[in-house]
Amino acid sequence: MPMTSRQRIHLALSHREADRVPLDLGGTVLTSIHRQSYHRLRQHMALPPSPDVPLMDLYQQIVVVEDDLLQAWGADVRFVGPGLPEPPRVEQCDDATQITDEWGISWRMPTDRGLYYDMARHPLAGATAAEEIARHTWPDPLHPARFAEMRARARHAVEQEGRAVVLGGFCSGVVEMTAWLRGYDRFYPDCIQNTALLGRLMDRIVELKAAYWERALDEVGPHVDVVQEADDLAGQFRMLISPATYRTLCKPRHRELLEFIRSRTSAKVFFHSCGAIRPIIPDLIEMGVDILNPIQVSATGMDPAELKREFGADLVFWGGGVDTQQILGSGTEQQVRDEVRRRIADLAPNGGFVFATVHNIQSNVPPQNLVAMWEAFQELGVYPQ
Amino acid sequence: MDSQGTRGTLEELMASVIEGRADPACVALVRALGAGTEAEAVLQGALIPAMDEVGQRYEAGEYFLPEMMVAAQAMKACMEILRPALARRMVRAAGRVVLGTVQGDLHDIGKTLVGMMLEGAGFEVVDLGVDVSPRRFVEAAREADADLLGMSALISTTMPTMGVVMDELRRAGLREQLKVLVGGAPVTPTFAAQIGADGYAPDAASASRRAREIVRRREGQ
Repeated sequence: MPMTSRQRIHLALSHREADRVPLDLGGTVLTSIHRQSYHRLRQHMALPPSPDVPLMDLYQQIVVVEDDLLQAWGADVRFVGPGLPEPPRVEQCDDATQITDEWGISWRMPTDRGLYYDMARHPLAGATAAEEIARHTWPDPLHPARFAEMRARARHAVEQEGRAVVLGGFCSGVVEMTAWLRGYDRFYPDCIQNTALLGRLMDRIVELKAAYWERALDEVGPHVDVVQEADDLAGQFRMLISPATYRTLCKPRHRELLEFIRSRTSAKVFFHSCGAIRPIIPDLIEMGVDILNPIQVSATGMDPAELKREFGADLVFWGGGVDTQQILGSGTEQQVRDEVRRRIADLAPNGGFVFATVHNIQSNVPPQNLVAMWEAFQELGVYPQ
Repeated sequence: MDSQGTRGTLEELMASVIEGRADPACVALVRALGAGTEAEAVLQGALIPAMDEVGQRYEAGEYFLPEMMVAAQAMKACMEILRPALARRMVRAAGRVVLGTVQGDLHDIGKTLVGMMLEGAGFEVVDLGVDVSPRRFVEAAREADADLLGMSALISTTMPTMGVVMDELRRAGLREQLKVLVGGAPVTPTFAAQIGADGYAPDAASASRRAREIVRRREGQ
């Protein structure tokens, strides 16, 4: 009997070689595809047009990849994430569309040539005291809409499709959410001048996340393979905050959250953090992170071969299959093939690798490059039997 | 205050800025001015060297964004006190910079940091914000009679707009009059060269250093 997707993922996550390297497209909010590139890819592959495909994430404008494409490509992972209590408030301003989310954060996308939503208003920018944090209108992590179809979808993916299930989180990372609520121009100075307030904010977010995870993990029961958390802490060349600041201010909160999750499930812990995060990879391992996403191969210190050598026994690498900053969007088909070859050679041996692009496939990617990626993956992602 | 006392005050000012302590920096600054130290001597002798040191510590990997931002805030607080005195003495800025994130891109923080570091290096900065159209860049550069135009883009899909701005600058006949510096995560030195920019900087600290290298003050203006 051929191996199911779920079995393939399980082998990879146990650092063993399956029949081939597992493939993820659209299995997380970090490994999907921008709607523009998605429509072009479908057309190129002669799949029926799907102008109304739902968005997996409104802000990044990435789609829920439909089953015909998942099947055609043999993707192994299905995303199950929370629903939203109500659609975000959308306003049309002069030159942009503005959305206010359930945290009170406003996001804008330029009307002319806009591709993404970016933050425009930070509700706790002016907060100076703990009471203001308490008074803020926080989203309800236990709102029934979040869990509406969760159980059924997870069960269907496992039992009917034989796919592995990634359970999505309640919101972005603890540190990110804190920065978004404060605004980056306040958050960074706060890391030195206002650590007590930042700590209170992070603790509140950990509390909300834990409540969500407890309920979500109850919902899906055994039908979950991977739980996804994230926090972005680095830029292209280096960490945004020092490893020392990370360890005193943020790590205790990450530890608390991850320990809580691990006490409630045996699913593997997937942690997304892009950019040059090498200095804190040992910290992530120590806290029980099983899977690191993405390996941003273009960032400083993030050479996949080195990381595999140094951390491959402890970490599964999920992503890092093709650079999305330069090669996938603006490289040639040959460059894409070469990149896939190199990354598979570096990361696939002894399992512990799930193939996905470094980040979501952006809006500018020619379908020819995506097909070149997939063909190279088909050819090279096979383990010797 | 004797010269040793002045030196001590300037050293204290410099240390406070480097460590991002705005209040003690301002106290030391007011003391130095009260003791008769010239505004330009304070700027050249303490504030600019302090921001140089901050930039060096960032590049050496000792400082990260929080340390750099509190230092830039302390510098800014000092400049607010110093600016009237500098204006009275007709001390010119190192140059005038028009800065913004390109059209379609709303990423703010990197560009804002570059602005803070440039101010710290003695430039006058006109920050156009984010999602800046090519036309707006050109108009603002002309209005401000800018020495330098700084463009930022965080995503690979908005980066090509930098090339459009370069074309518009040429068309408007402004290209020869100013220098162009570009940066942002996906931007590379090769890309900067391709579109004909004068410089590329990977981060805010090197942006201010690079800016000083490529801008030569236009005499007689």
